[in-house]
Amino acid sequence: MSFVAWSVVLLVASGVFGALFRGRASLADAVFRAGTLVAAIVGSVPAVRVLRGTPVPDVTLPAPVPGGAWAFGLDAVSAVFLLAILWAGAAAAWSGVAALRGHVAPAAARVSHAFVGALLAAMVAVVTARAAVPFLIAWETMALASYATIVLDHASADVRRAGMLYLVATHVGTLALFELFAVWGAGAGDLTFASLAAHPPGGIARGAALVAALVGFGMKAGMVPLHFWLPEAHAAAPSHVSAILSGVVIKMGVYGLVRVTVLQGAPPAWWGWTLLAAGVASGVLGVVWALAQHDVKRLLAFHSVENVGIILLGLGAGALGVTYAHPAVAVLGFAAAALHTLNHALFKALLFLGAGGVAHAAGTRELDRLGAAARAMPVTAGAFLVGAAAIVGLPPLNGFLSEWLTARALLHAGLSTGSLRLAVLAVAVLGLIGALALACFAKVVGTVFLGRSRDPAARAAHESGIGETLPLVALTAACAGIGLAPAVVLPAILRMGAGAAGVSLGAIWAGGVDPATAPMGLFVAVVAGLGGIVWASRALLRTRAARGAHETWGCGYAMAGARAQYTASSFAAPVLASYGRVAGVHAHRTAAAFATHAGDPVLDACVTPAWHAVERVARSMRPLQRGRVWLYLMYLVAALGATLGYLLLAGRAA
Amino acid sequence: MNHAHVGSSLAALAVLLVIAPALSGVVVRTKSAFAGRRGAPVGQLYWDLFKLMRKGTVYSTTTTWIFRAAPVVVLVSLTAASLLLPLDGQASPVQFSGDLIAFAGLLALGRFALVLAGLDTGSSFEGMGASREVTVASFAEPVLFLGFLGLVLATRRLTLSAMLGPALTAAWAHQTASLALVALAFFVLLLAENSRVPVDDPATHLELTMIHEVIVLDHSGPDLAVILYASSLKLALFAALIVEVAVPRDGLGLGWSLAAFAGGLLVVAMAVGVVESVMARLRLNRVPQLIVGAGALALFGIILLLR
Repeated sequence: MSFVAWSVVLLVASGVFGALFRGRASLADAVFRAGTLVAAIVGSVPAVRVLRGTPVPDVTLPAPVPGGAWAFGLDAVSAVFLLAILWAGAAAAWSGVAALRGHVAPAAARVSHAFVGALLAAMVAVVTARAAVPFLIAWETMALASYATIVLDHASADVRRAGMLYLVATHVGTLALFELFAVWGAGAGDLTFASLAAHPPGGIARGAALVAALVGFGMKAGMVPLHFWLPEAHAAAPSHVSAILSGVVIKMGVYGLVRVTVLQGAPPAWWGWTLLAAGVASGVLGVVWALAQHDVKRLLAFHSVENVGIILLGLGAGALGVTYAHPAVAVLGFAAAALHTLNHALFKALLFLGAGGVAHAAGTRELDRLGAAARAMPVTAGAFLVGAAAIVGLPPLNGFLSEWLTARALLHAGLSTGSLRLAVLAVAVLGLIGALALACFAKVVGTVFLGRSRDPAARAAHESGIGETLPLVALTAACAGIGLAPAVVLPAILRMGAGAAGVSLGAIWAGGVDPATAPMGLFVAVVAGLGGIVWASRALLRTRAARGAHETWGCGYAMAGARAQYTASSFAAPVLASYGRVAGVHAHRTAAAFATHAGDPVLDACVTPAWHAVERVARSMRPLQRGRVWLYLMYLVAALGATLGYLLLAGRAA
Repeated sequence: MNHAHVGSSLAALAVLLVIAPALSGVVVRTKSAFAGRRGAPVGQLYWDLFKLMRKGTVYSTTTTWIFRAAPVVVLVSLTAASLLLPLDGQASPVQFSGDLIAFAGLLALGRFALVLAGLDTGSSFEGMGASREVTVASFAEPVLFLGFLGLVLATRRLTLSAMLGPALTAAWAHQTASLALVALAFFVLLLAENSRVPVDDPATHLELTMIHEVIVLDHSGPDLAVILYASSLKLALFAALIVEVAVPRDGLGLGWSLAAFAGGLLVVAMAVGVVESVMARLRLNRVPQLIVGAGALALFGIILLLR
């Protein structure tokens, strides 16, 4: 645990140093980069040790406030999240230093870096806290540090609005978490996770606690319909901050749901089914809404909703496996959820950093103005392509590995007896999500990187600097590495799943479940090997044949301009047409112009009207507020009188 | 899995790889017979491939390395996918629990490469084709999964090798209706995934109306040969899937099994030709209804199994 503590200290100190340091900017930046990298390495030591099966002892600090001791610990579940936080965070921090240089006042940039460091440190504390009080302190620190990083560009009204929406949403979530721990802790001796696990609430209290957990953690995770703040905030933030928010911060909500599932022992059946249903809704709606977007960062943000849906499918299967005492489903489900969390952190950070680089070079995030970025930015394009293939779940990359595990958990559920069998239908939903994600990323890669530039003013003129391409290359290598080395990754992640499910792996393999580690390794090797062989033989063939270059075939008409290319909106239109109003696309037609606008149906149709209704009610109470001191004193006296009366009545009843 | 199985399954794979271009020829011959024409020889595609392999290549100046890599990825993904099927009716060369996900993932990989190659040219025709391709696939992929779910539930096996192999023979005895529905759904899927009538007309010559053919407008020479071969392999792969579901070959010797396999492929190809002859193409906005209908069939089969 001391390694984790050092990692936290490094993250905070390197950022704060830059914020306070008044000397050369390059020194402050170098310290921050070094701090995040060393923190990632130092923090990974215990995480890898835990994942290899060696436990790390817990640390208990005396509590300065009521609520029991402040315990910290690192189990395999925390270790997976810790790796995601540290490495996606380090890559984003490195890229952020280069991205902000020359665009933001140096002092503001360094304060922003300090908040990024604090955000990462707070998340490390969230996943290692083993008591409610330090957990909530870390949670709130994380929420506030996120806010500070989102509103870096606070001169823009859109950014301020998105920041406020985020702030309100996250505090509604925190309020729900207070209720969770208050209700759950009422029956337990103190608020350490150990005593919470020993005294799970029963009856209505349990239901209230779990609903609060669903709201609090689901809000942070971006689970439909609580996702409405996410696309706004993640699009408004600087790209490297979006990478951290989408890659890691929303995973803290997932972590909370995993932790609540595990702490319950045997969760009730409705918990697992609710998670599964939320996974289906988030997965399908997230990707449909993503398809409708015109802004590349909003699109990526909606894909985070989709991927949280995939994670929840795994987690739901895990919870159901525990409830229905089906260990194979439980282990595979928990392992799938954790691996997809780590994978999504890597490829979503990669995609946001890549998109940020393009937006930076081209000066716009509007898909229909971009194009041909692969020519000027070959490294960014290659990295983005790998990230896109990974998020779509194509073999042999890491996204495929975790989606395969998710599907296996659900397939094993299908082989069981009783109502658990119905979970198998979610596999078809997984197929639907994958196909829609493919459509969406074909649209993004095609319109941003390929073809011709649609708008001369928005042409990406140059590759990002080494400070931004290096993190991209590192994340690409991580995505490919996890996908190509299932023999290394799968045993560790399955051991983690077994720990979360509270069963032994040996018993499951003995029960006829196939670990499938070695053949999976063979499979990815075959795919990669075949690719190499065919590519090599193509190179041989090419040397013999003549080659020519010509413009694209236009049915004999060679004058079509770049604006005649298929746009992102047209590309997505046929798919979206099938989803009708759910897709949230509004068309604006005039005699000579046509435009579409992609909103968020939940925000536009539910949250905003509800908020206006609250405002109306609040306005009707305005007459109470007259600005006269004597009136307020009267209110005080009346309130005291009412309290006294209540106490008298309550005393008589007793 | 023992070595004899590897040998026989690789022999079956060789049959598939060799016979694939002929299947397209069989479809064309069937259509010709319906139309009262003689039609091109069954082996026409082999000759076309041979011709294209010796030609030079013209690349659009708009394209990048993605355009050049796409044919390779398409071919590799389909070859790797065929390694997952037990083509000899017994076992597949590569198998692992949940490999049906890998099968679908490989098809998706090939599609991703092809669609990106189309978009790489910057042509609005190819963009249109790419858009239609992913639209059709977004309906077809869940149906493929539903079909696989039906097989999983009917045979209670989690590898393609086992659920299309010996376990299927026993399942046909008890789960006839479900398996027939799955086979029917797979046939509709074959038409949709391979851009055949009523989803797309491979014989049309108007770029505006095509799906698959329009994506590959700019490919030429050996690249086009690879793509044409891969398309025929994809048709053969789906035909093989249908044959494996519909004709369990447990208990036959290797020779008979391969003969039944090849014969089954020809029958499926002729059925495609018959459908293409007696049906018109659907309007594009009606295509999703056809595929969702196939999904409903498969889902009904699953409900019968879950009852």
